[in-house]
Amino acid sequence: MATLAQPDVVNAADEPKRPNIAKAGLPLPAVKDYAQVDREIMNTLKFSKGWFALLMVAVGLLAIGAASWIYQIYAGLGVAGYSPPVMWGVYIITFVFWIGIGHAGTLISAILYLFRAGFRTTIYRCAEAMTVFAVMTAGLFPIIHIGRPWKFFWLIPYPNWRLLWPNFKSPLVWDVFAISTYLTISVTFLFIGLLPDIATLRDAEKNPIKKQLLSILSFGWRNSENEWRHFARAYLFLAAFSTPLVLSVHSVVSFDFSMALVPGWHTTIFAPYFVAGAIFSGMGMVFTIIIPIRKWFKLEHYVTLNIMDAGAKLTLFTSLVVGCAYLAEFFIAWYSGVQVEQDYFWNRVFGQWWWTAWIMLTCNMILPLSLFSQKLRRNPAWLFILSLFINLGMWYERFVIIVPGLSHEFEPWQWGGYRPTWVDIGILVGSFGWFFMWFLLFIKQLPVIAIAEVKEIVPPRLRRPAAAHAAHGATAGGH
Amino acid sequence: MAQGMLGAFLEIDAACDAIAALRKGNVGAITVFTPTPRHEFEHALQPPKSPVRKFTLIGALSGATFGYWISIWGSNYWPMVVGGKPISTWIPYTIFAFELMVLVGGLSTVAGLFIMARVPRLTMTVGYDPRFSGSHYGVWVECAPEKLKEAETILRQAGAEDVRSEQ
Repeated sequence: MATLAQPDVVNAADEPKRPNIAKAGLPLPAVKDYAQVDREIMNTLKFSKGWFALLMVAVGLLAIGAASWIYQIYAGLGVAGYSPPVMWGVYIITFVFWIGIGHAGTLISAILYLFRAGFRTTIYRCAEAMTVFAVMTAGLFPIIHIGRPWKFFWLIPYPNWRLLWPNFKSPLVWDVFAISTYLTISVTFLFIGLLPDIATLRDAEKNPIKKQLLSILSFGWRNSENEWRHFARAYLFLAAFSTPLVLSVHSVVSFDFSMALVPGWHTTIFAPYFVAGAIFSGMGMVFTIIIPIRKWFKLEHYVTLNIMDAGAKLTLFTSLVVGCAYLAEFFIAWYSGVQVEQDYFWNRVFGQWWWTAWIMLTCNMILPLSLFSQKLRRNPAWLFILSLFINLGMWYERFVIIVPGLSHEFEPWQWGGYRPTWVDIGILVGSFGWFFMWFLLFIKQLPVIAIAEVKEIVPPRLRRPAAAHAAHGATAGGH
Repeated sequence: MAQGMLGAFLEIDAACDAIAALRKGNVGAITVFTPTPRHEFEHALQPPKSPVRKFTLIGALSGATFGYWISIWGSNYWPMVVGGKPISTWIPYTIFAFELMVLVGGLSTVAGLFIMARVPRLTMTVGYDPRFSGSHYGVWVECAPEKLKEAETILRQAGAEDVRSEQ
């Protein structure tokens, strides 16, 4: 008679409160077999009124953004809040913000995969999708920022007769290569990971039209051992490529600033500072998304408190790195003895822009210290609230980097102010609508938790007791 | 035309036993279906290492070479002369080499996966059952007509829930 191998921990209430997150097979005690995984995850694809209402809100926000952009195209870039010397504003801030959000997806899906961190399994799909949609959102902003979007192809560096020669030493050209590569590899990584799950949806589908569509999308995937063998190798290499890629992309974005001779920008700390900030902000957005999803879709036994705890530790660590970078910036300005640098930082924290700097410091440095408490790390409501503060703080971090730098350069005649207009705000709001619209559409078409990967950590059904099976040379731990 | 016997198993150890017996009896070519990758099948089948890594290596090297080449060629063909500075310089051009190494290497890896796993596949062909993406493991033995009976016996003895002949 068939027996079901028992997982390490049987009762959800008995989950260890200090989980070993380095363990590859972090158990899901309440998930018993493959059929349960299929049933519960596929249930998330059913449409609901709440989902539809949220989609309408997202589309509404997008409409505000689209209307603002159309007005800007009609009236010219002057309707945005730019005034010399601050000619980079909300659009570039939001561009860096969304690129940063996109980093946690690859961190969770690729870097944690290479480290065999078990807590990634049930959250990586969500984070990967978030990455793709965040980079899609970020990619709009350089186009919005140039004012004449129909000339966006001028950004692409190819030899031409418009007297615009490709300058391969320009950080803006590096950006084009880095972000295009990042988007392509992120989409590829997401899609390859989805293939087995699309095949599962295809096989369970009753509607012939949908089944045909899913057959095409699944590329005829059959779950054969041969397919899995090549899949595992390809996935490993894609993860290995994505890991340095994620570090390079935000480093390249930081070079947009650090290559310029602007006080506060021209510093070697920018690349690691930006990468740590990106991962921190991405973790914030992961919590913003995953906490409502686990509640509304009743997936608390997949995204367990242990998984939240592990994610919160990662958030705390990146917050400490970011905080350290903030303090290092102040120290470098003081220790350099350069008056302009010192004035710039004084102006940033105690002068003209004090309120933005203190929002940043409070949200990114002070509030995350609460995660030293295990009780708060295991409290989804607090994690959700904190994640909103982190999102806000990280947007303001980019504001604090960009605007005070440009508004307080070397000479007093270069000093000025900056005030975003309703057009800037409308487009910022629209970017959230655009992002969440894609995300909401995604979660109702494709599984938000990777079915095949969750099955890997569910003990397989056995004919003989587990002890005999172990002697046979097999393990219940899976891949 | 492919002909053979298909067994559907609920238990992984039963499927592994069937594979071992089929290999021992040299009944025919075995294809295993599993809803999730399991090392148990790797141990039972002992397949060769996946050659996808070769696609990755060739793609990555080609991408890096192209990245350096395009930036050096572009700079020399449309020179931006700044006094005392080289027209081509390898340090910033390493960014292009790196990004294109990742891009071409990643896409080559996917191409390698598709070529080796033979996807996209236009039809499901014989020897597949929709249960194999759900809860069941499948063992398909492609064999000559005279060996079909032997294959069926082995699959049933191992504990297959369902056995059927297909062609």
